[in-house]
Amino acid sequence: MIQVRNLFFKHEEYFVLTDISLEIKEGSFTAIIGANGSGKSTLAKHFNGLLLPTKGDVIVDEINTRKNQVEIRKKVGLVFQDFQDQIVYPIAQEDVAFGLENLGLPEAHIKKIVNETLEKLNIKKLANSNVNTLSLGQKQLIALAGVLAMRPKYIIFDEPTTMLDGVNKKNILSIIKELNEKEKLTIILITNVLDDLRYAKRIVVLKEGKIIFNDRKELLDKKILSEAQLYV
Amino acid sequence: MSNLYLGSFVDKHSFIRSLDARIKIFYVVTLSTLIFSVRKFPDTLIFTFVILFIISIAKMNTNYIVNNLRRFFSIFLFLFLMYIIFSSNKIFEGIIVMWQFLMLIMISLVLTYSTSLPDLTLAIERLSTPLKILGIKPRNIALMISIAIRFIPVMFLRLGRCREAMLARLSDFKRLKTIKILVITLLEHMFGSASNLSDAMSARLYNEDAMSARIIRLGRNDYISLIAFFMFLLWFLV
Repeated sequence: MIQVRNLFFKHEEYFVLTDISLEIKEGSFTAIIGANGSGKSTLAKHFNGLLLPTKGDVIVDEINTRKNQVEIRKKVGLVFQDFQDQIVYPIAQEDVAFGLENLGLPEAHIKKIVNETLEKLNIKKLANSNVNTLSLGQKQLIALAGVLAMRPKYIIFDEPTTMLDGVNKKNILSIIKELNEKEKLTIILITNVLDDLRYAKRIVVLKEGKIIFNDRKELLDKKILSEAQLYV
Repeated sequence: MSNLYLGSFVDKHSFIRSLDARIKIFYVVTLSTLIFSVRKFPDTLIFTFVILFIISIAKMNTNYIVNNLRRFFSIFLFLFLMYIIFSSNKIFEGIIVMWQFLMLIMISLVLTYSTSLPDLTLAIERLSTPLKILGIKPRNIALMISIAIRFIPVMFLRLGRCREAMLARLSDFKRLKTIKILVITLLEHMFGSASNLSDAMSARLYNEDAMSARIIRLGRNDYISLIAFFMFLLWFLV
């Protein structure tokens, strides 16, 4: 379980996140939604210790993100908003192996995991491709494969559909749904697109760094969305 | 985008392709040093035959070589003009130097043509292992090369996009100020990407002390090539 307790985060002179408290249960599918600048991505980076709270705590499976970031990052994978910048190596399968090499796994094991991950996402044919020649949708799947290969328990998708066309949007959302339902991974979906909420079960709405709604999707109404400047 | 890749890898089975990338780097460095150390025409001719022989067993396509060499035409022309202007009495020597330069490019093309990028970076990582004594981490060197190869084409794409966006708003690229704005915009983009990349690497537990887990060993072809290469060296130097 990920527990956020009275989280405050100050950037330069002002608070980007103010008194955030929430729990994300194992196996759940939570969407964090908010307008631009509401602090969604900042909150996402707290879940895997890329950012540390100015005040308060983020606890992942009883480990405080201030204490053991290596363990935290093994558990919490993050697919970045600009996934193109997330890909380190020019060759797809080398990039998928990047995190596994950092973990110091033996070569045969790395190969096996890379192959399995590429197969799972149906992108085995891209294994030897130069990433620079791939489409945006394919690049996003490579970025996701790099995260999935590390076998995280929780995956954060930071605005995964923003840069994609209709077909690729549908594809990535159905992959996210499958990861949650079949692989039993905990999903945290960060978005400002209402259409992306279709598979989420719990919704957290952020406005100017504060939570204004945190409940089941069925209870989310237009009034709250309007307040968060997500519905006109 | 394809024209941004100089001397790209072609997955074609050949004796040279089967060699260990570390051995190939060793050959390129040794041959390049030897090529530039000779001054006589017969010696240059010997190396020309050696390189042509290597190209033939690497099964390299003539178009590939010509297309890649064409990019260096302006440099050749510049070098030649410099010789004509500043040492017109040494034109023959100038031709030999240019020919040596051409051979240097050809031997480097053999390396990139016959070696995949992962093999090349792994070889560089392994060859840099002695630098550990100086506190330099081999993985950082290999990663720097990979990141450069990954992001240089991205940088050119962004440069093109920024330029087009500025042209659409009637920027005049004859003015120094416009070029300055273009460079600053591009740098801002690249710093943004670098920051994202750094976060992404931290998220995937980048560990500069970890070495690539791939095991590479010299094979039969490597030993055959080493024997042939040292025999040639012995014959040439003695």
